[in-house]
Amino acid sequence: MKFGYTSWLPETQLVNKFIEGLGGNRLLGTQCRKCGGKYLPPRAHCKCGSTDLEWFDAPNRGRVRSYTVVSFAPESMSRYAPYIVGVAEVEGGMSLMGQLTGVTPSTLKVGLLVQIVAHQPDTDRIVYKFKPA
Amino acid sequence: MPSKVGIVGIGHSKFGKRTDATIRELAHEAVRPALEDAGLAIGDMDASVIGIAGEEFAMQGAPAAVVHDYIGMGNKPTYRVEAACATGSAAIRTAWALINSGLHDVALVVGAETMTRVSSARATELMARAGDTRWEYPFGITFPGFYALMATAHMNEFGTTREQLSMVSVKNHKYGAMNPYAHLQKEVSLEEAVKSIAISHPLNLYDCCLISDGAAAVVMASEEKARQITDTPVWITGLGASSDSMLIAERPTLTGLIGAKIAAKRAYEMAGIGPSDVDVAEVHDCFTIAEIMAYEDLGFCEKGKGGRFIEEKQSYIGGKVPVNIDGGLKSKGHPLGATGVSMAVELVKQLRGEGGNRQVSGAEIALSHNVGETGQFVFVHIYSR
Repeated sequence: MKFGYTSWLPETQLVNKFIEGLGGNRLLGTQCRKCGGKYLPPRAHCKCGSTDLEWFDAPNRGRVRSYTVVSFAPESMSRYAPYIVGVAEVEGGMSLMGQLTGVTPSTLKVGLLVQIVAHQPDTDRIVYKFKPA
Repeated sequence: MPSKVGIVGIGHSKFGKRTDATIRELAHEAVRPALEDAGLAIGDMDASVIGIAGEEFAMQGAPAAVVHDYIGMGNKPTYRVEAACATGSAAIRTAWALINSGLHDVALVVGAETMTRVSSARATELMARAGDTRWEYPFGITFPGFYALMATAHMNEFGTTREQLSMVSVKNHKYGAMNPYAHLQKEVSLEEAVKSIAISHPLNLYDCCLISDGAAAVVMASEEKARQITDTPVWITGLGASSDSMLIAERPTLTGLIGAKIAAKRAYEMAGIGPSDVDVAEVHDCFTIAEIMAYEDLGFCEKGKGGRFIEEKQSYIGGKVPVNIDGGLKSKGHPLGATGVSMAVELVKQLRGEGGNRQVSGAEIALSHNVGETGQFVFVHIYSR
């Protein structure tokens, strides 16, 4: 299983673990055991330099900070266009980029409350997406 | 205390869809007039600093080596600098440091890029991969998309309007139409700009800069050498640089570039000036919202008032700070590596009083603001007579 509607990098151990979590509808982040730094999406190494991180379950609810409707897509994404990409603040303060679904021009707005759910755009691909809560 | 470094020669190629040339010929087209302008020969250059952003666009690995050889630099040292869309300004900053270190006295800075040999969808793909390929690129975000996220946030928070975004485009096309080196030398009406096709809502076609081929060059020299070479050197009096997170989602605000504010503050402090002292500016208008945010980040107006700043025509010649009066990235074009050097070329012309029908009368202090990606690279330079 690969992460994303499109990808260019190979999957790593970290990404495979994140994908495994998504498969069980869990949104996994990592937290540094030394400084407490929290990462969503997860990182293998903390910005403080520590390599001692543990996994945690992030909240699956958030609030849309901004959005755009991509009409002119990169080559690898043309079959999906147009699509909505947004940034949502997850409960607890971290922020994620993701695609937004289940909205209409009149319901799409900054501040929209969303659920963060797993989605398989293809048989071998998985992502999370935002949908109205 | 660093000593002064001056610009003593400038050259610019025609920007556009240049199917008649590859990156080497474009570089030559900018270098020759820069040398002539300085009254020097290629053999007088101690080193070259070459800014080219992408191998895929240049269709050549290590493209700086090709340029260095083609322009006749022979066995002289060369440095390749890359900082995405801010590559050209990074090259100028690098040359400044090399000269100030005493390693070289005279350096030739060349910024060049060829981008139009690939389709627009391919170019969008290649540029999208400059975003975070692990966690953000996989959602299909593009560079217009990143700036559209900022536009949505800015419009939501400050009431910036669709028309105000388009007014930036109208201004830059007005001046671009007057610049013989510009890619798209034509004016655009507010109605045309407002109604153009959507690229990444709320940004439409006329909110987006052009994909262009082109090159620009400057000859830079130590204070002592510069005074020997010319009676009209333009001095770099302030430099500021900064960066920001790869993940745009991670940033506390989407309505401005924190790095641009930091870089501007450092540059102003080094030059001993403030925003109100700037007579003419070149800012990174890769998208119209980027120019509006630049007005605010550089302190030309208060936070959130950028839309009003363009609406009141404060960035036109005759306004508070004329901005992008060579057409900017929007109308002049944005060959990535060339852009920052092209900004320097325009500002040197303005400070020498060679701006022709676009001259800001009595311009003494100029500022360039060049952003790579969405602020991962920011360079602010201040120039004075």
